[in-house]
Amino acid sequence: MSDVLEPNAAAPAPWVSAYRASDVEITQAVTAPLFASPGKFWWIALLVSAPFVAWLLAAIVWVFYEGIGVWGVNSTVVWGVAIADYVWWIGIGNAGTLISAMLLLTRQRWRASINRFAEAMTLFAVAIAGLMPIVHLGRPIYAYWLAPYPNTMSLWPQWRSALVWDFWAIISYLLFSILFWYVSLIPDLATMRDRTRSRTGQLLYGAFALGWSGSLRHWRALRILHTTMAALGVPLVCSVHSIVGLDFAASLMPGWQESIFPPYFVVGAMYSGFAMVVVLALAIRWGFGLQAIITRKHFDVIGRVLLMSSIVMGYSYATEWFMGWYGGARSDRSLVAFEFTGTYAPLFWALLTCNVVLPQALWFPRVRRSLAALFAIAIAINIGMWLERILIVWNTLSHGYMPSLWRVFHFTIWDLAFVIAPLGFFAFLFLIFVRLIPAVSMFDMRELAHRENVA
Amino acid sequence: MSQVDELPVKRVSRVARPELDRRQALSFLAAGVASGLAACSRPDEQIIPYVRMPDRLVPGEPLKFATTLALSGYGRGVLVSSVDGRPIKVEGNPKHPASLGATDVFMEAAVLSLYDPDRSRTTLHEGAIAPAEAFRAAVLGQNRLLKQRSGEGLRLVTGRVSSPTLLRQIDDLLGQFPKAAWHAYDPADDGSARAGAMLAYGRDIETVPHLARARVVIALGADPLGHGPDQLRSARGFAERRQPQNEGFSRFYCLEAAPTLTGAKADHRLALRPAIIGEVALAIAKSLGAAVRDAAVPDHLKELVRKISADLNSSPGSAIVLAGRTLSAEAHAVVHWINARLNAPVDLIDPVGRTPAGRQPQALDELVRDLKGGGVDQLVTLGVNPVYDAPADLNFSDASRKAPFRLHAGCYADETAELSNWHVPLSHPLEAWSDLRSIDGTASLVQPLIRPLYRSHTEHEYIALLTNGDMASPRDLVRRTWQAQAGADFETWWTRALHDGVIAGSAADPLRPAEPKLPQMPEPRAASEFQVVLQPDPSIWDGSFANNAWLQECPKPLTKQVWGNALALNPEDARQLGVSVGEVISIRSGGATIEAPVLVEPSAALGVGCLTLGYGRHRAGAIGNGIGCDATRLRTTKNPWTIAEAVITRTGRNQEPLTTQNIVRASDYVSELYPVRKVAVAARTLSAPEAERPPSLLPEAPPRSGDGNAWAMVIDTSVCIGCNACVVACQAENNVPVVGPEEVARGRDMHWLRVDAYDHGTATNPALGFQPVPCMHCEHAPCEPVCPVAASVHDSEGLNAQVYNRCIGTRFCEANCPYKVRRFNFRGYADGQEYANLGFESYLAQKNPEVTVRARGVMEKCTYCVQRISSARRAAERDDRTIGTDEVRTACQNACPTGAIVFGDLNQDGSSVNGRKSDPRHYALLGHLDTRPRTTYLADVRNPPTEGDGK
Repeated sequence: MSDVLEPNAAAPAPWVSAYRASDVEITQAVTAPLFASPGKFWWIALLVSAPFVAWLLAAIVWVFYEGIGVWGVNSTVVWGVAIADYVWWIGIGNAGTLISAMLLLTRQRWRASINRFAEAMTLFAVAIAGLMPIVHLGRPIYAYWLAPYPNTMSLWPQWRSALVWDFWAIISYLLFSILFWYVSLIPDLATMRDRTRSRTGQLLYGAFALGWSGSLRHWRALRILHTTMAALGVPLVCSVHSIVGLDFAASLMPGWQESIFPPYFVVGAMYSGFAMVVVLALAIRWGFGLQAIITRKHFDVIGRVLLMSSIVMGYSYATEWFMGWYGGARSDRSLVAFEFTGTYAPLFWALLTCNVVLPQALWFPRVRRSLAALFAIAIAINIGMWLERILIVWNTLSHGYMPSLWRVFHFTIWDLAFVIAPLGFFAFLFLIFVRLIPAVSMFDMRELAHRENVA
Repeated sequence: MSQVDELPVKRVSRVARPELDRRQALSFLAAGVASGLAACSRPDEQIIPYVRMPDRLVPGEPLKFATTLALSGYGRGVLVSSVDGRPIKVEGNPKHPASLGATDVFMEAAVLSLYDPDRSRTTLHEGAIAPAEAFRAAVLGQNRLLKQRSGEGLRLVTGRVSSPTLLRQIDDLLGQFPKAAWHAYDPADDGSARAGAMLAYGRDIETVPHLARARVVIALGADPLGHGPDQLRSARGFAERRQPQNEGFSRFYCLEAAPTLTGAKADHRLALRPAIIGEVALAIAKSLGAAVRDAAVPDHLKELVRKISADLNSSPGSAIVLAGRTLSAEAHAVVHWINARLNAPVDLIDPVGRTPAGRQPQALDELVRDLKGGGVDQLVTLGVNPVYDAPADLNFSDASRKAPFRLHAGCYADETAELSNWHVPLSHPLEAWSDLRSIDGTASLVQPLIRPLYRSHTEHEYIALLTNGDMASPRDLVRRTWQAQAGADFETWWTRALHDGVIAGSAADPLRPAEPKLPQMPEPRAASEFQVVLQPDPSIWDGSFANNAWLQECPKPLTKQVWGNALALNPEDARQLGVSVGEVISIRSGGATIEAPVLVEPSAALGVGCLTLGYGRHRAGAIGNGIGCDATRLRTTKNPWTIAEAVITRTGRNQEPLTTQNIVRASDYVSELYPVRKVAVAARTLSAPEAERPPSLLPEAPPRSGDGNAWAMVIDTSVCIGCNACVVACQAENNVPVVGPEEVARGRDMHWLRVDAYDHGTATNPALGFQPVPCMHCEHAPCEPVCPVAASVHDSEGLNAQVYNRCIGTRFCEANCPYKVRRFNFRGYADGQEYANLGFESYLAQKNPEVTVRARGVMEKCTYCVQRISSARRAAERDDRTIGTDEVRTACQNACPTGAIVFGDLNQDGSSVNGRKSDPRHYALLGHLDTRPRTTYLADVRNPPTEGDGK
């Protein structure tokens, strides 16, 4: 068959691992799995993830019914897993936006094969992140009081609170992510409309394709809109994570009140986001046989990004410790000592290993090219970043100004539910996504193939 | 078919078949229905609305009544607030000499016990509910029997009786039944003190020390500042002598085996084995010229003895030596001699528990001897629980079974009720008429605040029933007692006595006994074995408060333990025994073995384990059952307070003692958060780093305009004795819920006010200081800018207010509070998810209607008792005046026996807070954070014997 994209690792073009990738071949390679039966592995994966969805729902219902007392939070460590989850998930979302927007603006064409699912990842991660602050509340039923709506009490949100900024950050980031993703999806939706045989599919894809005909005017409008949104997106993604950092920095607790937090959170988010992209890219590449489109070169590049981020993270940690010591405040120095030697010290050492030590292996090109090694490092980084989030909460709150009330968090099974179950929910959403929407941006890919002279 | 046959019914040989015709049947039916209607309906009662209001009753406005509450039989005068007929809050009666306007934890918690759903409600016969008439019939039967035998076989067991009416009734009873006998005991009693007085003076004498007149106090195992019937008076006396701006700042030496509050506040404290403390008493006597043998005092104590005697000699007439429970009778006698020699400010009085005819109760061991001999037919136990709290070697429960008629009257159907044929409910003191004497002999009346909630009666009624077969009105009984003494115009006298809550001039006259005799102290045994020293519990006393959830959850002052007791061990002993905190060990002494978790306590003496009484009950109620271990099982009649030759073995199990907070021992934290200075330099301004004023996004402090109030609180840590009265007072006033042991284990206690404990001593010689921490009401409150919904706001008078309705529970405020004074309702602690039976209807009656009961998911905190501020403002506006200087008093301030807490208006020139703010010892907690707290502190001042340049 002439329209099958045949991957070949020996092909010279860096971003397309094939000697020939015509428009039809690319389209075929991306859309064919969507029209074929999902296959055994997809079903198994779906069945495995479905109980996690049920678990998450049950956990949320239980927390609403029984109160947040089911968690290990207490009067001293008043925050817990929900906050760490929130920061971690919204960090995961970071990479999708960065890949799509930043790399688009900087004309890094290689992003073509990974931006679509990375953006989907952003969308789902931000949605899960957005749930967490609501579940976190003592009275979640009144979460809408964060919104400035006209009410008989004549009360507005209290604008000095970082949580209000957060509310706007999440909302605007979520809305932006949906729109940005959707805009770049339109040409591919039109392709799906044209290729699907089912009437429902034609109607739905058709409706969402917004009458895309591929005319020059359409393309021009799309480019302008997409680039403009990308230009908006880059500052937005930075502001979101800065504001998450301000949730902590705009306090006066030792270990939180640090001016480094906003940039440090942006980098941390990028770090965990790219690590998650590695995991998902490996899964999609394998699941859909897209070895020709998602190449080893891609992984090599992401490996470099991870390496750079890990160095910045290590630098940030070191800055925190140095400033804690150099500032001379006893509370800060005592906190740094507590991080290294206190109750949570094993977790802290694990975090340093995962985030700073292990990724140094990426200096070696062989490691960057080994998919297994990369996968392992990416998982380690994701674990390390979650530990970092939870330890920011636990360490500072457990070791505040009043030693009389130094206490530790008492981890319960409902905390565990909120650590694990959202991962399953995320996987579930992702599995549904890859069956409905092309996981790779076909039009971007076709353009790339032309530029790489393999079309 | 067969089942019916199995029923143990008496078989009727022939069933009579009545010949009924239709008419008869119908008329019987009609008669039956009619009689049913008539007999079984509720009795006719009329309810009448207030057409004309009684003069003083305004709906919703609290009324205060004076009454008296007992601890170990001694009365302490209180004023109880009652709202719409419900007593809700206990405060001290300033006119009463044993309360002086303050309260302790037991007085504060009395309102909770009143509404305890586990209280005994009905008469029980052999454990089953029985009609009151059956009980009356049974008692009348016994009464007839006793009359024939002039009371032979009747034994009355009571606690310490100080009630003149009850004493008079006991006289009547014993007059009626001359062969009967009366036994009294108190689980917290100091038997060796009485024996010591007998040795010294040849008679039973009670000692009433006046700490306010003492410049030097030597506490030898004694704990005048600790919990007990005399705590409030002693604490006030202590505080009066601890004002560094006044002359004559007192000096406390404390030698003790088990840590106490007196030891914590002492200027020089040493942990010693009980036997050595007795020898120190002897050494002091010797140095003062007593003709006694040489004391066997270790060398390192000789210097201390020299210092003590120098101090004693230099303060004639104003030095006291106090002996405690662990000392022998001989040591007590020696101390009597020392006090007489020093002309110490101590009143010696006749014991209050003597009937008008001069009868004194017999001891419990005589009763047990008679019981075992079979000479007891009627055992009447009034208001005490000997099956639980009598010393274990008496084996009271087995002995009591020998009496065929066992009657128990108690507020609870407790362990003794379980073993009695008859149990009858006793009224709670807030439901009862009675009278009580305080430790100095002052009498006061007990008047009911509410009709008995259940069909209970007072001790007076049961004694009257037993004596005369007739339950007289307790009010009449009490009135009859005082009629003779009141003079001609009894009604005026009665009204005055009820109103004031104290009977003027009723205090005992001090005795002027002859020179005390010096006994021969037995030679000390070279004891090296491990001992256990027992103490009454600072939270639940002797166990009679075990079912009070406030007290169970009240952190013990020195360990912060709640919901249980533990064996406190010196770290060195723990190391030698190879045990660590939370390990359950078994303690064996004599034939008894108990198991308790270990708590490592640097203040405990070497070779001495410390345990408190009152736990391990199995019939206390839903709150107190099965909590802690029962130390009573180690006690012997001879040595109720020290358990000699205790053998500790490990069990391998673990049970972490529940604590609500840490004792701060890291010296850098202590020196910053709890400054301590010596009295010589107390007048120098604290060299605390001047708070920087960095640029702030927050508005400047609310203006202190001329017409507004600026509320503030200053707490003098120097006189705070850590007694927890403020903690429980706050709980009662502000509807602070109890969370239960499981939630405490997770770190979720709800107290709005906690007492931090700081160890400013050395590793081997700890010295604790206490710092009550309510909300700081910061002018730059870190909690306010972080709240996204403006639930945490500042009011114009400087209060940091929490709007419960608005709170959505982000908990950012508590996360950002450097003092960690906010409390979150992780569960519906007062709102559907209460611990044990705390959600029962009856408890609702205790809630203060002026204070919101907070829902789940809401942050709450100290409000400076805003409801009291508001009520003072209403009163002032009604009278068209401004709120008076120091007119508003918070609940914690009112409870404080030492006046450590002062609250008031910074905008009023003469206010006490302004006075304290200008004290050189004044400091703000974490002042360098620029939170500008309105709650501030005065540094602790100590007066240690080694003179040196302190800082």
